[in-house]
Amino acid sequence: MDHQNSQDSNGDPLRRIRECIAHAAHLLPAQGPIAVFIHHNTLHAFESHSFTDAVVEGARTFGCEPYLSEIQYRAFVSSGRIKPEDLEAVMLDDLDETADDLLGFLGTRFHLRMAMLENPWHEVSTAELKWFLAESDSLRRFLNDESHNHNAMFIKTTRRWVMHELTNKTASGNPRRTAALESVARLAKRVDVNSVGAWPLQEWQTFSMQLLWNVCRAGVVEADSYLPVPNSERRHRDLLFAITQRDSDELVNELLIRFCAAFLDQGISRWPLPGRESGFLTSFLNLYSQERFGVEPWRKSLGAECRRLLERRCSASELIHDELIRLGVTAEAWPEYLSSSLLALRGWAGMIWHIENRGDRAVRPIPGGSLEEFVAVRLLLDRMALEWLAAEVLGFRQPLNALLPFLKKQVVDENKEDADQLAFQIFQIAQYRGWSPGELADVSEQNWQLLLTELRKFSAVERRRIFHLAYERRFRQQTLDAISIHSGNFGAPRQRTTQPRFQVICCIDEREESFRRHLEEIAPQCESFGVAGFFGVAMYYRGAADAHYTPLCPIVIVPQHYVLEHVSESHLGVGDRRRQTRKLIGMAVHRVHLLSRSLWGGLLTALIGAIATLPLVMRVLFPRLTARLRQLFGQFVQTPTVTQLCLERITEKPGFETGQVGYSVGEMTAIVERTLRDIGLTTGFSQLVVIVGHGSSSLNNPHESAHDCGACGGGRGGPNARAFAQMANDPRVRRALGQRGLLIPEATYFLGSYHNTCNDEITYYDTELLPLSHRELMNEAKTRLDSAREMDAHERCRRFESAPLGLSPRGALRHVEARAEDLAQVRPEYGHATNAICVVGRRQRTRGLYLDRRSFLASYDPTQDDDQASILTRILQAVVPVCGGINLEYYFSFVDPKGYGCATKLPHNITSLLGVMDGAASDLRTGLPWQMVEIHEPVRLQFVIETHPQIMQRIIELNPGIASLCKGDWVQLATLDPNSGDVHRYSRGEFIPHRLDQHVLPQAKSSADWYDGWREHLTFAQIGCGDSMGTHGASVKGTST
Amino acid sequence: MTMEFMMPLIGAAMLGLPAILILWIGLPMLLQHPWSEQIVSRSVFLVVWLGLGLSCLAATIMIATGTTQSNVSLGSWYSIPSVELDFKLDLILDGLSLTFVIMSFVLCGTISAFATKYLHKELGFQRFFLLFAMFLTGIVMAALAGTIELLFVGWELVGLSSALLVAFFHERLGPVKNGLRVWAVYRVADAAFLAAAATMHHMVGHGDFAALMPGETWPNAVSVLTQEQAIWVGLLLLLAAMGKSALVPFSGWLPRAMEGPTPSSAIFYGALSVHLGAYLLLRISPILQQSTLVCLVIIGVGATTALFAAITARVQSDIKSALSFASLTQVGLIVIEIGLGWELVALIHIVGHACFRTLQLLRAPTLLHDYHTLENAVGGHLTHLSKHGISGSSGSAVLYRWGLERGYLDFALNRFFVNPVLGFFRRCHRVEQAWANWCRSGSRATSEGIPSTTTSAPVDLFEELP
Repeated sequence: MDHQNSQDSNGDPLRRIRECIAHAAHLLPAQGPIAVFIHHNTLHAFESHSFTDAVVEGARTFGCEPYLSEIQYRAFVSSGRIKPEDLEAVMLDDLDETADDLLGFLGTRFHLRMAMLENPWHEVSTAELKWFLAESDSLRRFLNDESHNHNAMFIKTTRRWVMHELTNKTASGNPRRTAALESVARLAKRVDVNSVGAWPLQEWQTFSMQLLWNVCRAGVVEADSYLPVPNSERRHRDLLFAITQRDSDELVNELLIRFCAAFLDQGISRWPLPGRESGFLTSFLNLYSQERFGVEPWRKSLGAECRRLLERRCSASELIHDELIRLGVTAEAWPEYLSSSLLALRGWAGMIWHIENRGDRAVRPIPGGSLEEFVAVRLLLDRMALEWLAAEVLGFRQPLNALLPFLKKQVVDENKEDADQLAFQIFQIAQYRGWSPGELADVSEQNWQLLLTELRKFSAVERRRIFHLAYERRFRQQTLDAISIHSGNFGAPRQRTTQPRFQVICCIDEREESFRRHLEEIAPQCESFGVAGFFGVAMYYRGAADAHYTPLCPIVIVPQHYVLEHVSESHLGVGDRRRQTRKLIGMAVHRVHLLSRSLWGGLLTALIGAIATLPLVMRVLFPRLTARLRQLFGQFVQTPTVTQLCLERITEKPGFETGQVGYSVGEMTAIVERTLRDIGLTTGFSQLVVIVGHGSSSLNNPHESAHDCGACGGGRGGPNARAFAQMANDPRVRRALGQRGLLIPEATYFLGSYHNTCNDEITYYDTELLPLSHRELMNEAKTRLDSAREMDAHERCRRFESAPLGLSPRGALRHVEARAEDLAQVRPEYGHATNAICVVGRRQRTRGLYLDRRSFLASYDPTQDDDQASILTRILQAVVPVCGGINLEYYFSFVDPKGYGCATKLPHNITSLLGVMDGAASDLRTGLPWQMVEIHEPVRLQFVIETHPQIMQRIIELNPGIASLCKGDWVQLATLDPNSGDVHRYSRGEFIPHRLDQHVLPQAKSSADWYDGWREHLTFAQIGCGDSMGTHGASVKGTST
Repeated sequence: MTMEFMMPLIGAAMLGLPAILILWIGLPMLLQHPWSEQIVSRSVFLVVWLGLGLSCLAATIMIATGTTQSNVSLGSWYSIPSVELDFKLDLILDGLSLTFVIMSFVLCGTISAFATKYLHKELGFQRFFLLFAMFLTGIVMAALAGTIELLFVGWELVGLSSALLVAFFHERLGPVKNGLRVWAVYRVADAAFLAAAATMHHMVGHGDFAALMPGETWPNAVSVLTQEQAIWVGLLLLLAAMGKSALVPFSGWLPRAMEGPTPSSAIFYGALSVHLGAYLLLRISPILQQSTLVCLVIIGVGATTALFAAITARVQSDIKSALSFASLTQVGLIVIEIGLGWELVALIHIVGHACFRTLQLLRAPTLLHDYHTLENAVGGHLTHLSKHGISGSSGSAVLYRWGLERGYLDFALNRFFVNPVLGFFRRCHRVEQAWANWCRSGSRATSEGIPSTTTSAPVDLFEELP
């Protein structure tokens, strides 16, 4: 009986601790090893909330920013990026029915809030406010000097009131009035009453301002309120830091970071952590149990403690339990306490969690339960650091569980509202709304309270939210207008290009938007399509020169199939020889690298060191030339370019053994059919269809993989394009497709290729397998694609400040080639930065519209879809989370580059081959670096889907994955009518017609014409491309709605 | 004839150009109108390559005329003939100084070209290059210095700019703290240096290298100091070099210095700063060779450092720390070579190592890319781990922990040096306060009641009125 009881009371809390940690683990950054960078929503853990709630919640949990700063938004207002009508529209929408509520003398709520947004507003920290009041002339002049009439009126009223009070000594009432009267009385004592009336305006201004300030302050001091801040359970460290400015985390982190890095290391250090396999806790205890002398004072007892714990052999959760009790954390506070302890080093904790769960993706996996053990060690060290620090700086020598109450007593006043802050807000709003000091002094108590309440309600975060919505609204209006006008211009949707010369299928990536647009301009008789860049071929791939299989498909899919690349039979001998040579060179290089870090490397570095000057100087000063030379020499050891894909499987089941590699004909058929039906390419095939996968390669860039294809899970999509082309060319597949009603003409040939988005190079696969009859066409296509990539480079270069604006297309290509090879280049490309739109629909609806590399373009033909919209559903199931994730990651990394992003790249230091730290001992930095996002506009992704609102509504209802993002406003949603230019946008669960702000779009002869000489974001424009040139101008005027 | 005329000119230009660069970049910054990125990078480029050209020219002239050493006098700083005090502005151009200067210019030139792109659009771009110019001036001055005083000035400039570059990201706490730590260690080294200079002046009345080590050219010169004098000067200068080159027990600051942007880590801790201590030892090696004791101590320090760093480097799991300790290993070896009297070997080693390590550090961010390439070439995971790994026995765990904790050197420094010093000054402070309180206790009445000027009080309405 007794035994049973003790079991319960022992077992229960431990399970609870484990649950708490598992729960808190969801808050950790989901980023895995940096070599495979997968974009995801930074606040994934809060996706069940709406976006606006989640950013605030996230900001609270992680100590980050929810939106841009108010200063930034106000700068957007003055630059015209946010227009007054945006603010008004957003505010009206937000307040809905409460907008016109009349709040006594305050006016309507709408006007009160607008006054706070439209006028300069200062809300700064207390210290800054003190400085501001003391050093600026804000107590002498109007904050808004421009509105003279308004200010003159203000002074006039004040003057009348003062003169009245000076002559008629009335009784004082509330404290505000008392303060005002005191001021007036002091004035009377000091100066001659009769001369006051004749003061110049300047002096009246000064006097009015100071009188106003005194009234506001008196009124606020009278209210003496406490903010309703939830008193969340905080860690000892936070309180101790608030009181003493000494940080116990600093002590603990230094040790813990070093140990985490050693524990997780995937191969940088030459000695692995001893006993790593035994887990985090055991290896830590073993390592430090022998520490007997020479230790930092705060962890003098660590050695003894480790020995004790080793003997006790207690589990991680037992240790956590013990420590929580010793720290005096009450059971109700466990979840919060454990989660904030976990988040204190969230980068490292997140990586432990990731490697623990995805051991398949790590070279050296770690045992399960590591995160729990990490928490245990953390609490153990926390306790020691706190004990020492509290004794050292506060002289606290009682048992540690008394520390929390002791600290709390000292910071009891933290929630007290700062009187100056609030007073200054009233001071400001009074000036803008023209409430003179006299009026405020005489206002009733009830109205005064109302004012305070209203001001508090429209807090800084709320104002930023409104600003942000207005910021997004401006862009949304422009986008929807542009698409609506452009696709409506032509009345009925334009037909597809008849008899296209060749067709190109690209990734939906917004970086391919400019590539496709230029191609269509250069070759009007060409058609382009967009589909997720793995082309439906989800596989583990291993190239002829690769060491391992790499998954090439979206992260949510676990591939079942393996594909191998082999050197062609005829080149086998050469291939083998070269592989041997490569291996020898590789081993030698590796040896040299290792040796150079060891004692005996001395001789080596002394001998060959000076030779390193040549590559050093060359690579830094002449990156492109050096790359060329390296390529030249590299040719002798490269895999022969003539290779084959091992794509077809003989055995029943797929796998990686010989014979199991590849796909069956049936599977291939399914893949080809699905992809072609997705993009609506079922008829009108040209003789040549080029499939373009993409990826990116750059040097000195730990975030290199973040530039690769998102649909390939941070891999490079070339092999997928090649595999798809090979499948689609297979006559058996064609036959099977024909039986399913998808007839590909015999003359049609598919060609795989790979687009490097960093240096804009295009590589073609299996060109020698192309029938000779197609060679001429292929050469024509290649020429056009070459021009298109030059222009693509040209358009990209307008964004690079280090590229001169007047570059020729050829020069631009050379510039981007140099960028990709430059060791010093921290911005090899801008990746997904500026992404803001995702169009899912037929290309002809947007063809000829300048989208500024800001739009994902997924091809989808609503006329070929069934009643259930099953094609659209399956497209959106992938596109919404993937593109939304990319967009949100950019949003957060831009909005708070230090908190959500990983700040500037310059001090980054690759650690454990898993991630980067700032310098030699910081938390693992997750998110995107500033250099990647600096030109981004943080707006939520605007989807424009070519379908009917009812259909979209049904898809949302039936797909929880899509619904949570759409309903929570994580993405913005709009539909484009398949038969007209009508656009509906999704708002509060329903589709409402979009109202156009403008009816005409700017026109430009060509893309280059439109963007030349401009570095910033560009508005949309209609590009007169190809056959549409003639009717272009007329149709704009004709069809304006 | 021409040479006597040319050399001072070249020497002055080599030294003057970077110094002018400091003003050229710094003054506009002071006036709140910094130059654009382009102007800054072009002027740095110009100065560095001009300097390189000049130093190569000097070397060519010397080789052509068969001179092995050329002393250039740029005048005297301060001189009291009656007491034989003389502070001269002398430069030494010889194999040692020119090699070091040419290497410095090549590396600085490359790094500045690198940093121009790397720091593009960074807020502290101008500040970086201001510190860079200061560093360049310092390193050139230290290398060319013909007197101990001039060397000290260069030494200080290098120290100051390095510490400020560690703290380059001064909006974060970590870099600032670490910069301060580096600066503090440097100060200790500086104090030793200054003491050595004073001792030298005390002994022979000047700090002129040419006169201290007359006759043959470096490294074959013979010092005029007696053995006893050499011990003192040698040990003090060794202490100075230990601080600057992060030798044991001062090694703790080296990984901390990696907080700055990659190019500054590369140039300072990979290449130049860390070798400056070794350069100092090389410069005065004839003095060191006077005393076997000093040589033994130097070998001891070098060996300890090399061993310590070699073990520590094996344990580091981030690339910059691993490289910085690898650097230190080599610096330790170089110091051993100096102790053994192999000056030429040491010089070649410095040059080779500096160039090699700079390239490695600049390429540090590309590690993942390189790893991938290597794995593909080798056709499997890089397997060094299993081969060289140490087993889980307790003996190796001790060594591992020792490496992970970086030899507990920081702790030792704190415990045996920093804390006692701090304690001493705290005590002084307390005594002073007690004294001040005692003095003030008589006039307490007047010192109380000073109003605090916060805005919480109502504003005095009359301060502005007539």
